[in-house]
Amino acid sequence: MTYRAVFHKLFKPKLVFLKAMIQLVYSPKWFYGKDIIIDLISVFALLLIAFFSAKYYSLKKNKNHLLLAISFVLMGLSFLFKAITNFTIYSNMLQTKQLGLIMLTYTTLKSSNLLFFIGFLMYRVLMLLGLYLLYSIYHKQDKANLILIIYLIMISTYFSRSAYYIFHMTALILLYIITSEYLKNFKRNKLPTNKWLASSFALITISQAIFIFIKIHTLLYVIAELVQLMGYAGLLITFIKVLKDGKKKGKK
Amino acid sequence: MARKRERSDIVLDMLQSIQDKGGRIKPTHLMYKANLAHQQMKSYLEELVNKNFIRKVKENKYEYIIITDAGSRFVNKLKQMKEFEETFGL
Repeated sequence: MTYRAVFHKLFKPKLVFLKAMIQLVYSPKWFYGKDIIIDLISVFALLLIAFFSAKYYSLKKNKNHLLLAISFVLMGLSFLFKAITNFTIYSNMLQTKQLGLIMLTYTTLKSSNLLFFIGFLMYRVLMLLGLYLLYSIYHKQDKANLILIIYLIMISTYFSRSAYYIFHMTALILLYIITSEYLKNFKRNKLPTNKWLASSFALITISQAIFIFIKIHTLLYVIAELVQLMGYAGLLITFIKVLKDGKKKGKK
Repeated sequence: MARKRERSDIVLDMLQSIQDKGGRIKPTHLMYKANLAHQQMKSYLEELVNKNFIRKVKENKYEYIIITDAGSRFVNKLKQMKEFEETFGL
C-alpha cells in the first residue's frame, strides 16, 4: 500500500467533513475580515436607531416605538453573532494556512464547530425574528399568528443549516413586504427621509436576493455584502437626516 | 376626518407657538394658536411649568408665557420624534 493510499484511508472521512465545513464559508480569501467590518457597520446603524426608538417610547409610550426598538436590537445582535462567528472561523482557517498540516486543520475546525453552529443559528433566528417584528408593526398580528410564524421561523432556520438559501429566501420575503410598506409611506408623505428609508430597505432586500446565489461564485458573496453595506449606510444616513430635518421643521 | 391630536402633538403645538412668537406669548394668544379650550390649556400649562419647559412672567400688568432653554430643547426632541414616526410610518 502506498503512502498516499494509507493517508486517504485514514483521513478520507475527515477530509469530506473538512470540505463540507469549508463550503459553508462563501467569502473569497481576500475578502476575509472585510465582511466582518460591513456587519459591524450594520450593527452600529441598527443599534443607534433602536436606542432612539426606545427613547421615544419612554417619551410617548407608543407600542410601535418599542416594537421597532426590539426589532432593530434583534437584527443588530444577529449581525454581531455573524461577525463573531466569522471572525472565529477566519482566524482558525488562517491558522491552518500557516501550519499547512491537514490533521491540525481538522482539529481546529472541529473545535470551532459548535461555535460555528450556534453562531450562525443565532444569526439566522434573531434576524428572522427581528424582521418579523418589524413586519408586525405594519401588519398587525394576533396571538395565534405570532405563535405560528415563530414556529415557521424556527423550522426555516433549522432547514437552513443544510440549505442556507432557505434563510435568505425567508428574509427576502419579509424584507420585500417591509420595503413595499416604506414605499407606500413615501407615496403618502413624500418626505425625503421616506425616500431614503425605502431605498435603503430596497438595497437590503436586493442583498438578500444576491445571497441566495452565493454558492455559484464567491464574488456574489462580495457583491451581496457590498449591497448590504450600501443599504445599512443608507439607513444610517436616513436616521441622521431624520434628526436634522426634524430640527429644521416648523409648525405644520 | 382629521385624526385626534395626541398629547405630544398638543405639547409640541404649544411650545412651537411660543417659539414662533419669539419665545414669549400671552396666554389668550397661546390658547388660540394651539387650538385649546381654556381648561385644557390650564392643565397643560401647569404640567409644562412643573417640567420647567415654560415660565410665567408679569410685565406691565400683562401675563406672558416664556419658553425656557429646556423647553426649546424639548421642542427639538419632539420634532425629531415626529419626523422619526413619519419616516418609519409608526
